[in-house]
Amino acid sequence: MKETIRFISGEAISSAVASLYAQSCIGPHYSVEKKLTSILAEESPGPGREALKIEIENLKIAAETGLPICQDTGTAVVFVELGNLICIFDSSLADAVNAGISRACSRRFLRPSQVYPPMGERVNTMNNTPAVLHLEHVTGSQIRIILLSKGAGSENVSRSEMLPPLAGSQGIIDLAERCVRAGASKACPPVIVGIGIGGNLETSGILAKKALLRDLGSENKEPELQTLENQITEILNATGIGPQGFGGKTTVMETRIIQAPCHMASLPVTVCIDCHVHRTASCVL
Amino acid sequence: MRIVTLPVSTEVLKSLKAGEQILLSGLVATARDAAHQLMLNTGQIPFDIESTPVFYMGPSPAPPDRIIGSSGPTTSARMEPFIPEMLLMGMKVVIGKGEMSQETRELFHKHGAVYLAATGGAGALAATKIKSRRIVAWEHLGPEAVSILELEQFPVFVAWDLYNESIYTRRCNDT
Repeated sequence: MKETIRFISGEAISSAVASLYAQSCIGPHYSVEKKLTSILAEESPGPGREALKIEIENLKIAAETGLPICQDTGTAVVFVELGNLICIFDSSLADAVNAGISRACSRRFLRPSQVYPPMGERVNTMNNTPAVLHLEHVTGSQIRIILLSKGAGSENVSRSEMLPPLAGSQGIIDLAERCVRAGASKACPPVIVGIGIGGNLETSGILAKKALLRDLGSENKEPELQTLENQITEILNATGIGPQGFGGKTTVMETRIIQAPCHMASLPVTVCIDCHVHRTASCVL
Repeated sequence: MRIVTLPVSTEVLKSLKAGEQILLSGLVATARDAAHQLMLNTGQIPFDIESTPVFYMGPSPAPPDRIIGSSGPTTSARMEPFIPEMLLMGMKVVIGKGEMSQETRELFHKHGAVYLAATGGAGALAATKIKSRRIVAWEHLGPEAVSILELEQFPVFVAWDLYNESIYTRRCNDT
């Protein structure tokens, strides 16, 4: 049986990406606001709690004024699930995505933060391209786009390591704890911790990013991973680092884990930290 | 909440205690990585380093109807390689976010400098507390250009005070 090919223009993708990028940077992000508000209700008095109030107020001001939530409008990390029946007839996917990022950057006054070359001159590309694109080829005639605006403050304290193959869950817990103790105060906590386990060096990084995309409050489909996520969140919150690192009960809002098969001699792990603003947006074309 | 007017007097500097939330009003200078490298390589500091707090910040572009775009602090730890020389030149107040090393904390203590932490990620709120912005050097750096901002009741927390106390050693483990 032959299915019909669906033709789509690069412009349709650019336009969707531009909307998603602006929406992720500006909001409103009601689920994040709700989560931070529930954390506030439990937080002990002190500067950490006061900073949490500012974080919540800021989300409201951004949505009202149209100003970006944070001046670092991040690297645009774009996950695309492309149906096998889709044909983008006039553009490559990367060109269409980058055109959308560039448009949102200029029209919505988002900060261009990408520089090239990475050593030496580091000249700003002035339109925040290129985006980081992760493509998954799926069956069907739709395109799903999920965009994460990832700030450098939290990205800089993330880590990838090749653990000994038998390090097990304790190895993962130790890496997450080292990461959070060393860097959480620089990553604008309460943070979200995404952990990618398995695959190869590059796979674990992509899985960790993808783990961050899960809806706030949702359960892991693998019950043993949900248990490990809860355990890690509890251990990390026992550090007492708190909102902005000012001391408090909540350093980590949630931990999310994705695992994949790996070589018998390896255990690649990435712990990717996302800041409290957790800027995501998605759509289906 | 206490309003602290800039430039800050020695008496007021002495009265600041780690953990306290204050509102800053007055002039500060913005500088990040690239600007620090240029300032130290050229020996040219385009503001009065002794009286002007240095704010580690690079804003998003200003929409037509606004003075400035989103204006939250960047990670202070990245500026640590430049801090010893800046302190030697007389820098007294830094505004940034996140903990810095023990070595830097001791240098702040030795030089009688104070570290103030703004709320990381809260850039939209910060923008509403800025009354004016004037670029004073290296405009080609875009968001990293050095600028003078006038703050009005800009909320910050005293991170390191003159008594070697730190907000980052507060740990509320009462669960």
